[in-house]
Amino acid sequence: MATDEVRAISDQLAADPSSIAFLPLGEALRRRGQLDVAWKVAQRGAERHPQRPDAHDLLARIAIDRGEPSRAQSEWEAVLRLAPGHAAAQKGLGFLRFQQGDFAGAAELLGAALLADPDDQSLAAALGTLRAAVDESAVAAAPPGASDAHAVTDARALFDEILGDQPQTALLIDRDGYVVAGQYRTADGRDLGADLAAQLSGVSDEAERAVEYLKLGAWKQIVFESEAASLAMAPSGEGVLLVATPRSVPLGFVRRLLERSVARAQRWLETGT
Amino acid sequence: MTSPFTAVLGSLIRHRGVSGCLVVGERDGMIVEANLQIGVKGDAIAALSASLYRKARRSALAAGFGEAGFFELTADGGRVCAVGRNELVLVVIGEPGVNVGIIRVEMLRALELFQ
Repeated sequence: MATDEVRAISDQLAADPSSIAFLPLGEALRRRGQLDVAWKVAQRGAERHPQRPDAHDLLARIAIDRGEPSRAQSEWEAVLRLAPGHAAAQKGLGFLRFQQGDFAGAAELLGAALLADPDDQSLAAALGTLRAAVDESAVAAAPPGASDAHAVTDARALFDEILGDQPQTALLIDRDGYVVAGQYRTADGRDLGADLAAQLSGVSDEAERAVEYLKLGAWKQIVFESEAASLAMAPSGEGVLLVATPRSVPLGFVRRLLERSVARAQRWLETGT
Repeated sequence: MTSPFTAVLGSLIRHRGVSGCLVVGERDGMIVEANLQIGVKGDAIAALSASLYRKARRSALAAGFGEAGFFELTADGGRVCAVGRNELVLVVIGEPGVNVGIIRVEMLRALELFQ
């Protein structure tokens, strides 16, 4: 959303604080990464319209971006109390359960969300992974070789073959900033993929805005270097594929890694393997 | 009138496929100095590139990767490259086929001017 549009909605909200203009305004601010302002706008809106499920859904998505999953969870639970079957809330809660290791609960919620939104590729792929995880015990008991078929559907390990043993990361992130596949393991074994996705997914929103305004066509790739890492991202499905490597990796190789990861994700989203 | 950036902008614009290069304020997206081909909208490029670079820099910092260095956006219709330091951003915009390798080296070298 262009700055002028944000200003116009902001003016509209100032003129009529009881309007529901806080919804597009809060979402636009969230996408721009202005999370504290977005939170205030959404919170005031939800106080005036406590019975609106979309107000609580907005609060939940901002809470995720702020790294506050428990707050997001309570907001999405509020959505489901107001609107049982709300797809976005089921999806959000499903991904939260997934991150908490509750695969069965996650599969149930994502399955329900998929029924409501059958065209969401990221939901279908995530659900396939979760079902495999739920069946993990059965896989462990299966004869040698049988587990290979399941290994490719383990979303967290999707890019392992491409990345090898190097300290490199690939994440498939959906349009809401959730990790669909891949992981970002720290030295002490923690998976910070969700944090990384939340911080970096906003860059692609900004890129979309820039190419649209400058009439450069669709964006294909972003590469940038930082002190500690080289980062690359490209559109993938309805989301973004992000690759992070140590700074010592040449940029040309980072690009190749990105292209291979995009192709891998595409195959997985289309065929589930 | 010449500034510390005149020479580097003059050098960058001579690369094949480059349609504009600018020094921009990172916070306000205003042009400090620019060397543009005729018809290139400097103000829009300045504002959007500064905003994009600022977003990437803040995201990298928030993710724990430290300060951002070279940034490149590739689109169907062109490329935008940027490097920044001390609240100034050097931006180069060009065709998709522009030689990014040499431009990156030259841009990183030019950062010395941003002290």
